[in-house]
Amino acid sequence: MKSPFLKTLGTACALSLLLSGTAIADHTVKVGVIAPFSGPFAIWGKQFKDGVEVYVAQNGETAGGHTVEFVYKDSGGPNPSGAKSLAQELIIKDGVDYLGGLVFTPNALAVAPLIDEAQIPTVIFNAATSSIVMTSEYFVRTSFSLWQVSEPMAQWAYDQGIRSVVISVTDYGPGNDAQVAFGSAFEELGGTVLDAIKMPLQTNDFAPFMQRIKDQNPDALFAFLPAGPPTFAFVKSYNENGLPDAGIKFLGTGETDETNLQALGDAALGLTTAYHYSADHDSDLNRAFTAKLEELSPGSVANLASVGAYDGAHVLYAMIGAVGSERTKAVDVARGMEWESPRGPVSIDPDTRHITQNVYIRRVARNENGVLVNEEFETIPNVPDLGLMQ
Amino acid sequence: MSVLSGILIDGFSYGMILFMIAVGLSVTMGLMRVINLAHGGFALLGGAFAHWLTSIASLNYALSVILSVLAVMLIAIAMERALYKKIYQFSELQQVLATIGIAFLMIASVNLFLGSTLLPIRAPAFFSTSIDLGFRSLPAHRLVVIIAGLVIAGGLYILLDRTRFGIQLRAAVDNRDMAASLGINTVKIYALTFSLGAGLAAFGGILGAELLPIEAYYPLRYMVLFLVVVAVGGMGSIAGSFFAAISLGIIDTAARYIVPDFGTVFFFIAMMIVLTLRPHGLLGRI
Amino acid sequence: MSTDAAKTLAVTPPRKRFRTRLLLDLVLIGIGSATFFLFPENLGFVTRVLIMIIFVLSLDLVIGYAGIATLGHAALFGSGAYAAGLFAVYISADPLIGLAIGIIAGAVIAFLSGLILLRAGGLTLLMLSIAIAQILQEIANKERPLTGGSDGLLGIDMDPIFGIFAFDFFGRTGFWYVFVILVMVFFLLKLVVASPFGLAARGIHESPARMRAIGTPVYWRLVGIYTLAGAIAGIAGALSAQVTELVSLEALGFTLSAEALIMLILGGTGRLYGAIFGTVIFMSVHHWAASIDPFNWLFVIGGLVLVVVYFVPEGLLGLPAKLRQWLRAGR
Repeated sequence: MKSPFLKTLGTACALSLLLSGTAIADHTVKVGVIAPFSGPFAIWGKQFKDGVEVYVAQNGETAGGHTVEFVYKDSGGPNPSGAKSLAQELIIKDGVDYLGGLVFTPNALAVAPLIDEAQIPTVIFNAATSSIVMTSEYFVRTSFSLWQVSEPMAQWAYDQGIRSVVISVTDYGPGNDAQVAFGSAFEELGGTVLDAIKMPLQTNDFAPFMQRIKDQNPDALFAFLPAGPPTFAFVKSYNENGLPDAGIKFLGTGETDETNLQALGDAALGLTTAYHYSADHDSDLNRAFTAKLEELSPGSVANLASVGAYDGAHVLYAMIGAVGSERTKAVDVARGMEWESPRGPVSIDPDTRHITQNVYIRRVARNENGVLVNEEFETIPNVPDLGLMQ
Repeated sequence: MSVLSGILIDGFSYGMILFMIAVGLSVTMGLMRVINLAHGGFALLGGAFAHWLTSIASLNYALSVILSVLAVMLIAIAMERALYKKIYQFSELQQVLATIGIAFLMIASVNLFLGSTLLPIRAPAFFSTSIDLGFRSLPAHRLVVIIAGLVIAGGLYILLDRTRFGIQLRAAVDNRDMAASLGINTVKIYALTFSLGAGLAAFGGILGAELLPIEAYYPLRYMVLFLVVVAVGGMGSIAGSFFAAISLGIIDTAARYIVPDFGTVFFFIAMMIVLTLRPHGLLGRI
Repeated sequence: MSTDAAKTLAVTPPRKRFRTRLLLDLVLIGIGSATFFLFPENLGFVTRVLIMIIFVLSLDLVIGYAGIATLGHAALFGSGAYAAGLFAVYISADPLIGLAIGIIAGAVIAFLSGLILLRAGGLTLLMLSIAIAQILQEIANKERPLTGGSDGLLGIDMDPIFGIFAFDFFGRTGFWYVFVILVMVFFLLKLVVASPFGLAARGIHESPARMRAIGTPVYWRLVGIYTLAGAIAGIAGALSAQVTELVSLEALGFTLSAEALIMLILGGTGRLYGAIFGTVIFMSVHHWAASIDPFNWLFVIGGLVLVVVYFVPEGLLGLPAKLRQWLRAGR
């Protein structure tokens, strides 16, 4: 498939060499970061940038003698054609040797053919659909996948004696992943899925679903919703319709994301989730990370986005430190890499290039300052992306 | 049976929330004939003030609500004098463009000062308790919304149909020049009515925030929803908006009870059927 | 503004008007081709602008000429995009056949939805158009096995055009492919709006009652125009799918419809050129503002929109006339 492209590929390399001619002289290696910096998802871009900046502040601006320069580009929301043209611009015009960022699955998928052709190692800080990493050999991912966190949730729930659940997910890609991952794992263990509800994306009032769940009287409810307004209304509705009192436990994954956690208020107390990072994670490295983040960008909340970017920067630094702009070998550097992250010990799976990490079972509680946090109380160690094993 | 009562109760209470938020639009768009895409912007401003007053200034809820609504009404008067008085004369498309521009500026302002995350409004603890109706429970804040919605609907009916202001407003809307020549101060009437619409938006935005949470992109996120209520109700009819909101609430809720997988499609098809059969809405004046 | 057009029609001799217009068009084509050499490193972005121009031209036909106010034009764009994308994935990756499929899809969806939409007017039409786009988007979301849902339709890998010009990394082929189609669409539209069919549309816009009185089947004329606009929006969608090699739900989204409307009114409706200028200015300002301060870019666009609508209500195309007027007033 690649042979007709070889010629253009050669030109691409030649041109980027030409353009970064000065860069080679002073060993500057550029990394392009594609993320939303405008629109409803602008917070993602900011958190990516904050995460990268914390890493740079802690580790310096050079990696193995190469000065690393980050170039940020605004992709807005899910916008594959925009993301693709930004990647083109970054590679051709800005002469970047590496890419990072990417919040949305369609944006990551649109970039895949480009990075394949130009051989640009790309570290995904978020986009979490399992299959993305299979679309290009140049993808490395430092976030998570819904399979990775949903299956451990099912295991834990079963171990707690929960035997029947209702699954309630938002009807779109990630929701579907979460439903299948949790449902199949839970049933394999011997549990019963009483009902699987797919809630339309544009749902404002969740009361009808709560009634339906309540009527079936399961031991627990497993939910997945996009962060922001839907999660807010869902969690409120869960409490107000008396599900906690009926003994129906709330199980989830990213619903208690730190960005909007304080907004949920008391309604969030006691929600149990399985996830790969909590800002409350008990380690010196994490305390250093969150402290530096607060220092550099006061009020910025440490969450999956900032830690995804922080670890993404770590992988980028390792690759650049080892091979500089000789990027064709860079992904091999990342394969099998192991390090200590603010989220705990992690590694990059040599085959899938996805991050292997601990998954923590957490409960929302108030800390000594009265701030709502995700308190980790159980650890499932070294979970790979289970979605890719299917 | 329990499904039917569930649909009716949840649908009615959701419909009341829709009514609360959309009724202000029914005033500015339906009565004053401005395609006001910035309507959600006034709800956003109200919610942002209420968020700031309850969370950061830690003021009492009721007082915060009153202050926020008043603040939005004042802003609305200023904006009416500065911007909207010209918009009345624009063509439909120019109104769309102008009001969407205003909505953008409102979003950008809230984004700048308060960021783009959720802006919770600290409601009294009573709001989140559930009230037992015997056969099922209903969240207390929904009861508050239902009562407030009924009061607003009744109040608007009296204001528009039974008071001197209402008569003057209707005269001014039907024929502004004629009304002015009869000695009605149409400039004042327009400013006050616009401010009323904005105030209702703010009030609805704050009370509805448990369901439609306040955040910077609120005006765009829910714009279609508000427009649907007014279009189905019929331009210029408060009663129409009321019935439209309640029926849409019930239809939407029924869809979520019966065919949750096709909720959105169901909602829009219902709207299309109504609008195809009654192009001017349920109770629209032609 | 259409009365202005009628006035120019009356005072300028047709042949001279035709010649100046042709000259202007040639200059525009020259500028368009020049962007290829001026921005060799941004061809991806330039190509997106060109595709958007085709889409906004289609919207101009609907809004500016036929007076159909719609906020659901993305329904037609998305139909073209998904049809061309699915065709490329499952049947044939030939770009030109795919483009034809996109045209057909856009036209068919426009015809079918037009049958419902065009009986209504004003706010009702606006809402119906939104509803149709939302329903199509929900269907695309639900048909996940086929369309990829919110992950996007993956697996589009286009063959070379005519079997010769492969889509390249720099987007050169993509640029010329889209540019040639745009020029063809533009001249087709010029012919259409000058034809009896186009004049009838204009007449309906001015006064449906009068057109009905002189025997024009108003409803069917509108359906005809809407179908043609659907075909053109389908072209834009198909091109976007082929150049991006991915289609996502946003192709059917409300944001796309609203942004296209803003671009059109910004440039000026009912003159085709407005669609070009509005799109170029909106997207360039976005690109530029977003690279400087993306967080506050909404201030820029909000301000721009208000300035235009208050001071140059005919759109940016009305600016020269406005300037002349101000200068005269100043003297």
